[in-house]
Amino acid sequence: MKNLWKVVLLSVVVIILGLFALGLGNDPRNIPSPLVGRPASPFTAPALDEGPPITLESFRGRWVLVNFWGSWCGSCVREHAYLMELARMTAGRDDFIMIGVDFKDTREGARQFLANLGDPGYRQVFDPEQKVAIDWGVYGAPETYLVDPAGIIRHKHVGPLYPGWFEQVALPLMGKKP
Amino acid sequence: MWIEIAHFSTIIALLLALLQVAAPLVGVGLQRPVWIRVGRQAAFVIAALLTLATVGLTLSFLHHDFSVKYVAEHASRSLPIFYLVTALWGGHEGSLLFWAWLLALFTAIAVWWHWSTHGRTIPWILAILGVVNSGFLVLVLFLSSPFERLLQPPFDGRDLNPLLQDPGMVFHPPFLYMGYVGFAIPFAFAMAALINGRISDEWILATRRWTLFSWAMLSTGIIFGAYWAYYELGWGGYWAWDPVENASFMPWLIGTAFLHSVMVQERRRMFKIWNLFLIITTFALSLLGTFLVRSGVLSSVHAFASDPGRGVYILMFMAVVLIFSFGLLVFRSDRLRTEVRLESPFSMEAAFLFNNLFLVIAGVTVLLGTLYPLAVETLGNSKVTVGAPYYNKVFIPIMLGTLLLMGVGPLLAWRGADGARLFERLKKPLAAGLAGLVACIFLGVNHPYGVATVGLLLFVIFSHLTDVWGGVARRRTNTGESLPAAVFGLLIRNKRRYGGFMVHFGVLMMAAGFVGSGLFQEEKNLILAQGDSVVIGRWRLTFEKLIEVKGSNWNAQEGIIQVDGPGVKMTMHPQKRVYENHAMPTTEAAIFSGLREDLYIVLGDAVTENTWAFRIYRNPLVSWIWSGSMVMAMGVFFALMQGRRLGKKTV
Repeated sequence: MKNLWKVVLLSVVVIILGLFALGLGNDPRNIPSPLVGRPASPFTAPALDEGPPITLESFRGRWVLVNFWGSWCGSCVREHAYLMELARMTAGRDDFIMIGVDFKDTREGARQFLANLGDPGYRQVFDPEQKVAIDWGVYGAPETYLVDPAGIIRHKHVGPLYPGWFEQVALPLMGKKP
Repeated sequence: MWIEIAHFSTIIALLLALLQVAAPLVGVGLQRPVWIRVGRQAAFVIAALLTLATVGLTLSFLHHDFSVKYVAEHASRSLPIFYLVTALWGGHEGSLLFWAWLLALFTAIAVWWHWSTHGRTIPWILAILGVVNSGFLVLVLFLSSPFERLLQPPFDGRDLNPLLQDPGMVFHPPFLYMGYVGFAIPFAFAMAALINGRISDEWILATRRWTLFSWAMLSTGIIFGAYWAYYELGWGGYWAWDPVENASFMPWLIGTAFLHSVMVQERRRMFKIWNLFLIITTFALSLLGTFLVRSGVLSSVHAFASDPGRGVYILMFMAVVLIFSFGLLVFRSDRLRTEVRLESPFSMEAAFLFNNLFLVIAGVTVLLGTLYPLAVETLGNSKVTVGAPYYNKVFIPIMLGTLLLMGVGPLLAWRGADGARLFERLKKPLAAGLAGLVACIFLGVNHPYGVATVGLLLFVIFSHLTDVWGGVARRRTNTGESLPAAVFGLLIRNKRRYGGFMVHFGVLMMAAGFVGSGLFQEEKNLILAQGDSVVIGRWRLTFEKLIEVKGSNWNAQEGIIQVDGPGVKMTMHPQKRVYENHAMPTTEAAIFSGLREDLYIVLGDAVTENTWAFRIYRNPLVSWIWSGSMVMAMGVFFALMQGRRLGKKTV
């Protein structure tokens, strides 16, 4: 009993250190979106290419990756190469489609961006007043949502997507709910 | 050019720091003092080299050398020179270099001062401080180097984060670091005492000034942080119980406990293990503070760039230091047992014991609140935040208890007070406190904490005055001095005691400020068009117009508000600034500070074409916090002037 404090003291120190060790893996920016598991907010919005408006519901029955970006966003430049690769890689799949939402931006700037870094080829929503972005609870760029065939948001990724993301994160989710 | 010199000197400093660890240990092992002297020279040279490194980095800033990555990320051509110099600690890498530099300076000073008086402990002190500094230098050199060059230097830098372009933020980090690093010296002395197994209480006396100095620096640093939050962040408050704020507050609480309990060891040879525990914990919490801020393990509004690689290293470093020091404490403590027992619950030492318990409980409270979200996120899978409601609930009662002790303490005697005499001395303070309570109730203050604080404040003030008065009266009967001469003579004779009293007065002023602004703040959210008037408390505000203003590296919208208050007529200028290179606007609140309350105006967004949102606060007694902290600093300064009193008899 006399030496109980010694045991307690050392255990507390070790527990706190252990907690930090485990906690290091946490990403402080990774705030779980309350929208995950909820139906995605529907939209019909103008397209960047001034073609026909884009409607989310029109993609029902397929998994939709919705990528929010802007030409003003530095990390989007870094992410772009992977988006190009992902678009090429998944071009053959009929259960998966990608769209982009260019928000808080000018047409001029966005076109310049795509001209400089390459156009991944999928359709882009043009959202200068952030109507879609606010509905979806976007608070930075880039952010990416994965919507299932029933229109439910299954995953939200904050920050640039990285090579291997599709295989590590998207495919397992899609596997569960084909 | 300069940056290479800085880089190179830091590399040599690291090598020498390893030498500073090894040489004195070899010297002790071989009984060859010359090796210990090598360690001492190493400490001096490290201090010089790291000074050179710091100067080099600063010069890179002054020369706008944007080929240096750190400079490019934290400065720009239009940044005013004041912020250019202080951008040194504007980011992670530079602050770590700054940390290491301070530690090297303090080490050199400590070795120089204590060399001849502490021959037996100095080798261990050198080695311990060398280990700590090598740890930081490895971090600076390998994991977060401020010396990196960019292959393609930009024409202009990215500029310092606008929130950091504020005098409060300029002084916040250096003071905080001086506090953190300063505690390394008493820590090293304590460890050396443990390793040596010398039961002597010498280390307590030797480090008294270091402790006081570090404590004052840490306090000032925390206050600067609060001041910055109040003036720059524009949310009407100064303390948000954010994990990073807590990180600096925890070592302060435990350091405060240490500051008090060393006196017991000095006079009564008690609390030996407890003091070692306190100083080790204080320093451990200082490291923890650095870890929390720099690793990104906790989410925080401070949102510093986080990097897990760094986090892993800092954690490992911290684990080594913590397990070694607490382990040593546990395994060596049996040698330090004291035979002295507490004799009376109404003695000075008992008051200190309770003071310590309260402060440590307060520290544990903050620690739990800080770690709980981390634990939930790590072990469960959800996010929680612990905010002001928790802390207010737990913290305020503990602090009120501490105030009560603060009032009783000075009137108690070592070893135990005679009950009747104690009551005699307590009579006036108690009466004053009760009078305060009654007055509050009559004045319509109905918040229990508010009433309790007023009562306690008066109680403490009167107990301190009673003590001073008693001393003055005794002095006058003995010497026949005039009243002012007696007061002066008394204060000068025991600077340490009366410096402590001054610190207590500062704390009281701050407590008044905390309670006043915490409980009685008034907030109004308004939408005003040009020409609108509102009345808030004693103030009548008229929104005259909105103008555009331009600064050296920012543009702002500025509201012109005519304020008509009791005895003052003035114009206030709340701003919303947009800094070049930064998209996020920052608020510059317009603040009128008065003795009774602050008027605090924040300009919000435009609501329609010509109406704007405003947030207006009345913050009672906030200026008491800042002036209280100055009184506190003066008190510490006064106490520091007291030399060592080695010959003082124990009771």
